[in-house]
Amino acid sequence: MNKTKGETPPFKITICLIWLFIAGSMITYGQQSHTISGTITDKSNGETLFGASVFLTGTTIGGVTNEYGFYSITAPAGAYVLNISYMGYTDVNIQINLNQDVKRDVEIAEFSTELQEVVVTAEEPERAILRKPEMSVVKMNVATIKQTPVVLGEVDVLKSLQLLPGVTNNGEGTGGFHVRGGAQDQNLVLLDEAIIYNTSHMFGFFSVFNADAIKDVKLYKGGIPARFGGRVSSVLDIRQKDGNRKNYGLTGGIGVISSRLTAEGPIFGDKGSFLIAGRRSYVDLLLAAANEDNRVSFYDLNLKTNYSINRNNKLFLSGYFGRDAFDFAGIFENSYGNGSGNLRWNHIFNDRLFSNLSAIYSRYDYDLNFDQDDFEWVSSITNYNLKYDMKYYLNDKFSLDFGVNGIYYDFDPGQIQPTSDTSPINPLSLDQKRALEGGLYINAEHKLTDKLTAQYGLRYSAFSRLGGQPITEYENGLPVVYNAALGIYERGEAIGETDFARSESIQTYGNFEPRISLAYLLNEESSVKAGFSRAAQYIHLLSNTTAVTPLDVWTPSGPFIEPQLSNQYALGYFRNFLDREYSLEVEAYYKTVDNRIDYIDGSELIGQNTIETEILNGEMRAYGLEVLLRKNVGDLTGWIAYTLSKSEQRTPGGAAGGPGINNGDWYNTNFDRTHDVSISGSYRLNDQWSFGSNLIFQTGRPVTYPNGQYLYEDLSIASFAPRNSDRLPAYHRVDASITFTPKKYKDKRFKGEWVLSVYNLYNRRNAASISFGQNIETGANEATRTAIFGIVPSLTYNFKF
Amino acid sequence: MKTTIQFIPIVILVVLASCTDVVDVEIQTGPERLVVEASIDWEKGTNGRVQTIRLRKSTPFFDEDTILDVTGASVTVTHDASGTNFVFTDQNDGSYRTSSFQPVIGQSYSLRIAYNGEVYTAQETLTPVTDITNVFQSREEGFETDILEVNVVFTDPDIEGDNYLFKFQRQGDLLPDLEYAEDEFVNGNEIEWWYEIDDDEDIPPFRAGDVVDIEMYGISRAYYDYIKILIDQMGGMGIFDTTPVAVKGNVINATNPENYAFGYFRLTEVDRTSYTFVEDGQ
Repeated sequence: MNKTKGETPPFKITICLIWLFIAGSMITYGQQSHTISGTITDKSNGETLFGASVFLTGTTIGGVTNEYGFYSITAPAGAYVLNISYMGYTDVNIQINLNQDVKRDVEIAEFSTELQEVVVTAEEPERAILRKPEMSVVKMNVATIKQTPVVLGEVDVLKSLQLLPGVTNNGEGTGGFHVRGGAQDQNLVLLDEAIIYNTSHMFGFFSVFNADAIKDVKLYKGGIPARFGGRVSSVLDIRQKDGNRKNYGLTGGIGVISSRLTAEGPIFGDKGSFLIAGRRSYVDLLLAAANEDNRVSFYDLNLKTNYSINRNNKLFLSGYFGRDAFDFAGIFENSYGNGSGNLRWNHIFNDRLFSNLSAIYSRYDYDLNFDQDDFEWVSSITNYNLKYDMKYYLNDKFSLDFGVNGIYYDFDPGQIQPTSDTSPINPLSLDQKRALEGGLYINAEHKLTDKLTAQYGLRYSAFSRLGGQPITEYENGLPVVYNAALGIYERGEAIGETDFARSESIQTYGNFEPRISLAYLLNEESSVKAGFSRAAQYIHLLSNTTAVTPLDVWTPSGPFIEPQLSNQYALGYFRNFLDREYSLEVEAYYKTVDNRIDYIDGSELIGQNTIETEILNGEMRAYGLEVLLRKNVGDLTGWIAYTLSKSEQRTPGGAAGGPGINNGDWYNTNFDRTHDVSISGSYRLNDQWSFGSNLIFQTGRPVTYPNGQYLYEDLSIASFAPRNSDRLPAYHRVDASITFTPKKYKDKRFKGEWVLSVYNLYNRRNAASISFGQNIETGANEATRTAIFGIVPSLTYNFKF
Repeated sequence: MKTTIQFIPIVILVVLASCTDVVDVEIQTGPERLVVEASIDWEKGTNGRVQTIRLRKSTPFFDEDTILDVTGASVTVTHDASGTNFVFTDQNDGSYRTSSFQPVIGQSYSLRIAYNGEVYTAQETLTPVTDITNVFQSREEGFETDILEVNVVFTDPDIEGDNYLFKFQRQGDLLPDLEYAEDEFVNGNEIEWWYEIDDDEDIPPFRAGDVVDIEMYGISRAYYDYIKILIDQMGGMGIFDTTPVAVKGNVINATNPENYAFGYFRLTEVDRTSYTFVEDGQ
């Protein structure tokens, strides 16, 4: 049990509030009410729509569809007009005579049948955006993502998200993303509920998400709902398409780097559908053609199928498998990738009670094969997750989410196997680690008055580091000790080992995580929101490099590593104006993270059996202001996003003694960006031509430069300034794209389009890194800049039929 | 479903300008520090009596040709068990020399430097090294299989915990190359340690007739931890490199700890050899 001083009061308050509000709601709503429920789907393909707004016109009664397109609203008996709206779709109005419970499934149609459509939608359009207390959330439509100009023409979910406030990367050529000054491992990335441990292909040039297989993308930058847990910064919830229930179809694209093909269609008569999507790069083929010895390639495969047993029971099966492979001129080969599967059962108990049971598997592993020295190095993380979620729509003022989940983890930090008898390498296996993580939550969405809506919930998470491995004991219990004479941190002296049986628990932790947010409607066009959320994270990605690499290893909390705990406070102002053509969102946040791992000077993480001797326990804090101004409708759409922020960390010596890392001072994290501006726009000239453009400006990444030199062993040795006290030059670039849809396909089922995109239009040489060293010929010190992408034009052909 | 997929020839225009260039960068200037290069290296087959310690000052990073030699210091090394002092005399060029040192494997020694009113101290143990048993040239080892490399063969002792420093320098080249090794994954095995000069460097790879000087040092674990960071940080700082740090050696400023010295007091055994590349018919 890990308790801090501030924890108890919010928890108690939450419990009290929940009881108060449940009781209150029960009393107020004794009168005769009926429920209308059903599923909202896309007319053309039968895909369920998540986040569609369902309202009774002329009232404030309404809601939005859940991840499975399900809605349920309860109102006093009477005649109503049911209005269904969803960004990019034509509104539907249906007369409803509510004198009994009604089931009504509704199909809605897109405005346009072009390949590309609308823009980023906020959580949901119009009035609901203002009323709903959920804040710090971005939902991105795949159509928008497809419209954004990207490097090498490869549509990329993560790169599009980085154009929004509060989301950054760690520079070109690096994987992952950072949310509100949080680290990469603090993002929970879910693909159809399965945890994805590495989001990038080819060291971050591409993301693992094939846009053709994805239905929607929702990023929670804060105010994470109680149903999610396990990461302290954000949740990226990506849902795969279910597959077209009406027609068979093929979608594909042929690009410079890779090609993709998706097949979908109905199966089991009208009871189900399937989707299979594949993508493969062919850089390796090009390299082979160019007589290059090095090889690099990736591929991925997405699968999804569903079957409706009856109206109230539906099964979904989804899977993902992706892999990267590198071959460095026969010296070593490296391959890595994620694999996941999820079997789900949607069950509707009644008009007001929706449930989903999921059994999820996911795994990330890598393999390094050193041909020359005849040995292989493998490492993996595997988890099995069982989760049961329910949503209860009590009445038009109150709905309740609750559920439970349990995750079992297997960590293989690394094994070395000689691959021949003559190998000079001895076999080695690091201690295999196991853990169990459980979660229990309840969350209420409660309309307190016509103007004030609250969302409040509580999650209890528990973690048990399971036995089956020895734990090293150190002199004085200190795996790291400060050598005061030399002023450095050193590895502690091991004095023995304790063996834990598989049935034993080495260490357990538990945390209450309250999540509260409020929305107050100022008038029909504007609202203010405030939120607080606490989250716990029990597994950590060990990385002491500037950017996370695919070879970094996850490690569970345990005797020497405490769970990370974050508190985030956010305040926001939301406004629609000029006939809702424009919207403005302004949010401020302050976030703290306790128990953030930091690495002692010279830490060695790969092949390390005793991680505890390499790390110290620190903390992080981040704060910022985000502004998003969007133009939502018309031929010209787009947004201006600006973030002013700070992200820092500090690691005092603690029990190890001494001042701590970087003298115990606060220092910039690798992903601190003072200013981050993105302007993204698209213009539709006519049915055939449309244009897109991005402008990006960011403060340079914090780096550590030399502050002196000295001669030692006939070499000039650099001495370095305090950690991250310098910065790379500012990063900026402009991208542009032109999409051409030939006319001849207009009325046929076959639709094709050409996308010409140019990344980094003015060929700015943005520094990915600057290295310092001696010129090998003159011996003089010099600074060398590495720029990854200059101007990169590319052409892609997309088709659908 | 209609089935004709027309594969349209794709015009590819890739201007992938991923490359490097030398740029001007503004950097900070840290405090000037004493630099102690106190390397007591006992070459196999010698009596190890002649030893030199060098003292200098650190300089701003981009300063060229400003080697600030430190003269006027008093430098003494003591054999801890016997209390025998070896006084290193000031040669007035930044070097301090003795010709009466008595190296003993496994023995602890202390360094004392008095300079500018401050006293610096360090302690270290003389670490042995196994013999180089063979040196040969080849092409198939190394990162590039079509260029020449030299292989240093030795057998790691059975007891785990041996650490090595290698220094390679082709005669005529300006800068040496340092490499480090430990026996964690190879304890007790015969090891062939290869060294080559990459094709993409500004200087050519090894050719027949080139002579390369090879030094293999036995080093303490503490010095291994030190030199490893130093070597890793040379020319590094790419996005997948560890964040560089200010490396502290084992020389303590007893008078004013904040004003610590750069460099190290090491005592090693070293096996030196050299190899001349010959024509191999390729």
